[in-house]
Amino acid sequence: MVIVEIPIGPQHPALHEPIMLKVRTEGEEVVEVSVNTGYNHRGIEKLLEKNSWVRGMYISGRVCGICNAVHMQTYVQGVEKLMGVEPPPRANYIRTLVMELERIHSHMLVAAVMAEIIGFDTLFMLLMRDRERVMYLKELVTGNRVHADIHMLGGVKRDLDEVRRDRILSELKIVEERIKYYMKVFEEDYTIMKRLSEVGVIRKSEALRLSIVGPTLRASGIKSDVRSDDPYAAYSEIPFNVVSRDEGDSWARMMVRFGEALESVSIARYTVEKLPQGPAIPKTIPRATKPGEVISRVEAPRGELLYHIVSVGGANPYRVKIRTPSFLNILNTEKVYIGHRLADVPVIFASYDPCISCTERVMVIDEKSGKKTYVSMRDLARVRVG
Amino acid sequence: MEINIGKFIFKEISPRRYVALVTPSELREAVEAVMMEESYFSSLTAIDFPKEGKIELNYIFWSVKHRAALILKVTVDRSNAVVPTIIDIVPGALGGELEAYDLMGVIFEGNNKLRRGFLASEDVVEKGIYPLRKDSGV
Repeated sequence: MVIVEIPIGPQHPALHEPIMLKVRTEGEEVVEVSVNTGYNHRGIEKLLEKNSWVRGMYISGRVCGICNAVHMQTYVQGVEKLMGVEPPPRANYIRTLVMELERIHSHMLVAAVMAEIIGFDTLFMLLMRDRERVMYLKELVTGNRVHADIHMLGGVKRDLDEVRRDRILSELKIVEERIKYYMKVFEEDYTIMKRLSEVGVIRKSEALRLSIVGPTLRASGIKSDVRSDDPYAAYSEIPFNVVSRDEGDSWARMMVRFGEALESVSIARYTVEKLPQGPAIPKTIPRATKPGEVISRVEAPRGELLYHIVSVGGANPYRVKIRTPSFLNILNTEKVYIGHRLADVPVIFASYDPCISCTERVMVIDEKSGKKTYVSMRDLARVRVG
Repeated sequence: MEINIGKFIFKEISPRRYVALVTPSELREAVEAVMMEESYFSSLTAIDFPKEGKIELNYIFWSVKHRAALILKVTVDRSNAVVPTIIDIVPGALGGELEAYDLMGVIFEGNNKLRRGFLASEDVVEKGIYPLRKDSGV
């Protein structure tokens, strides 16, 4: 049997950043997957070293478009610790609200991407339509649809008034109903079950050794969530459940995300209803830190986000190490694809909710003849036989 | 507060953050001990201290059992930055090692997947510099 190597990437609109999966297949069966990186290394860690503490806030927010608020939270809470600044409770609640809105729209986005990859385009469009409601809410709270930029060292930049609070509550009600509906679709639809269940299984016993994080880890039966284990912002005061499942397959990962999105709706509602009184916007911006180091962790939509910030005093950070959840989830799961069919590769890859982009086209090289043909990722996803 | 794992003593530096200082030769033993505590590998931070002539490696693990970050600090000589690999104990540490090699020039003995250009761009690789070293000129 001819072994065919299929590079997926490094550019693909269904995924958000450039990376390349080299998939070697024997017939339909995947025998090896290797992940190629380095297409878009922006040198952000170096950039942070060369800029002041305050500027770093904006740079960290631009690491990722989808989860920008959690990146800012991780950076800001770390730097606040080094500066000895405590944000007021009202600011913590507003930060939590924005981060939870982000989680809802991120989880809806991956569900939409998954729907598109398995060829359920109507569901993709419906999900994206309802996701707009969350984007609108984000704009209502922060003034920006995508980049929230709500964080400030020692507080937030915008306060929340009564009028907007009521609007948020009424919109959240609709969003909650829609998420419940989509969850039911993913639970009951025959085609979705057929494509996702028992595909890309990660067992509980291997999950920790593979060092995967977030919904991917929780779908393998390990209840580990930074929000409950290592609370930050206002999470220590807010009641919520950590959603987990035991199946460990692509379907379980999607269901964990739906369950989490519903929890996020209730957290967002709690923050709006129980918003503490008092100031939220800092009057002065602190600019210097004490020497020291801090390991700042936040539960991003995709899992544990970690910033290791080192200061030796002075106006700039000495070292900022950023470890994003996808860095672990994508690199450490190469072996999960093996034994599956080629058409399952996009499904498994999307089930990690990778923060990465590839192209619409993949190249199929016949190793014997060296002939190259191009196939779109969408066509690839639909060639499943049997 | 302290956590004792095997012969290693982790001291609390801030809430839920515990640090143990280990030598490169003890590293693998320490990682094996940490992994017994229901931990996953979270991150590897390499920090360059050119004045002291050393590179500090911080292996950060999150222990689900202790609900705490267990950090192993290893200091290596800057001109001869070599530590044993841990990817056979924790496959999840592969990304961390590849990154520390590519950007900081730390060699992980026994890791045959190390390669330049894992993250760094071609022009940086061609010059043969490690961009996160303080004297790299980047």
